[in-house]
Amino acid sequence: MTIANNLFKYLYEIKTYHYSLQQLVRQQLILRYRRTVFGYLWTLLNPILMMSVTAVVFSALFKVDLKTFAIFLFAGMIPWNCFSSMVTQSATSFISNEGLIKKIYLPKLLFPLSICFSVLIDSLLSFVALLIIILVVGGQVSWALLFIPVAFILLFLFSFGIALVISVSTVFFRDLQYVIGVAMQALFFLSPVLYKSSALAGKVAWIVKINPIAAYIELFRAPLDLATMPDPSIIISATIMGFTSLIIGLVFFIKQEQKIVFRL
Amino acid sequence: MSHIQVENLSIKFRIYHDKSPSLKDWFANLIKRKHQASHSDFWAVKDVSFEVKAGDRVGIIGHNGAGKSTLLKGLCRVYTPSAGRVSIEGRLAPLLEIGAGFHPEFTGRENIYLNGAILGYTKQQLLEIEPEVIAFSELEEFIDTPVKYYSTGMYMRLAFSLATAMHPDILVLDEVFAGGDAAFMTKAKKRMHDLIDKANIMILVSHDHKLVKLLCNRVIWMDHGKVVADGPPEDVVERYLAGKSNG
Repeated sequence: MTIANNLFKYLYEIKTYHYSLQQLVRQQLILRYRRTVFGYLWTLLNPILMMSVTAVVFSALFKVDLKTFAIFLFAGMIPWNCFSSMVTQSATSFISNEGLIKKIYLPKLLFPLSICFSVLIDSLLSFVALLIIILVVGGQVSWALLFIPVAFILLFLFSFGIALVISVSTVFFRDLQYVIGVAMQALFFLSPVLYKSSALAGKVAWIVKINPIAAYIELFRAPLDLATMPDPSIIISATIMGFTSLIIGLVFFIKQEQKIVFRL
Repeated sequence: MSHIQVENLSIKFRIYHDKSPSLKDWFANLIKRKHQASHSDFWAVKDVSFEVKAGDRVGIIGHNGAGKSTLLKGLCRVYTPSAGRVSIEGRLAPLLEIGAGFHPEFTGRENIYLNGAILGYTKQQLLEIEPEVIAFSELEEFIDTPVKYYSTGMYMRLAFSLATAMHPDILVLDEVFAGGDAAFMTKAKKRMHDLIDKANIMILVSHDHKLVKLLCNRVIWMDHGKVVADGPPEDVVERYLAGKSNG
């Protein structure tokens, strides 16, 4: 199996470059808010402020209790933001590092991987901040919360696979970086973030049913909002989709990797 | 012992005539099933073979666009071969582009670690060389200032000091003797020669024929992606200057 061989060779190479990866992640995390008064706090403040505004507006619109809706919304926004940022930011990972890639050899996987790790770290931190808010507002504490780390891992596998495909495709088709923005907006409304997955009826209901994001949102929503473990069938399908996405992403990436430098 | 073997190496570039293909074009081509040549191939390096043994000091000369730098980047794995093979034994350090990977918003010290990591140094190595790099670049006062506030000279000094801080088995150079004021130049030249002396193999691309004759014990002349001549420096440089290809 040449692909399996390549894969092992690959992961081994990434291991030898772990310090470069660490530095690239650090660069991502530090740079964004350098020289702002709140600095890294913005990573936490930004999603909290955004979600608070959304919670106030939509709880009024849907005529539901603000506290209940806020917890419901936060639980859905955490996985959505993580997924969407990983895919959107990875899209330009090669284009924005063109100068470096044409000058020094680095395993190409480091570029999307460093972005995805930094998004994951951001998401974990904003999750902790939101968890505190949820508990203060009156959310339930339960053993089910211990499932959240597993939910993050599954979400990461799934999003990373897609991020890999998008990152390479954007090098070949530059239009994609703009298409992604619109596609993400559409996907946001077709994912049960603002509403319950059962709430959408009519012509687009089937899209929500087959939307893979819905499963990952449920992984977060069950422990945070309902204080229960997610349904086993959802855990299984999220696991299968996660690994499928990762494997497809890696295989696609390894096949296309060597063309990247010639197309930048 | 270090060793480089290049067998029938070719590196091909695609030149797009109008623009890079858009999604629309790609779908259009799918439907049409008739591929118009929207690009042409350009062989920057074509069927190049040579072997470099331990102790060799190789100079590569040739006109602009002869494929010299592309060949070096092929050796450093920046470009993967379109055909042929490159096999390398020994730790190779590319000094192709000094300061590539520097981030303007980062301080000098942060850039030592960021760029050092990109150049393949370990954290341990960087902790060890950091004081020496700062001292050699004479930037003690400004090392915690973002490099975007550096003058070109200061930037060059830091990048040079960092890139030359470790002694690789195989040294690959693309015209890097530059930067800094007169005093630093003298210091830098000495450091460079030191680096070359300690390297097991050195490969240098240069337009400075005196320098090539001084440093190298073998010269490869490239033209249009091919090796025209390969031999003792005096000989090959002489022929290159005379503009003849076959004696």
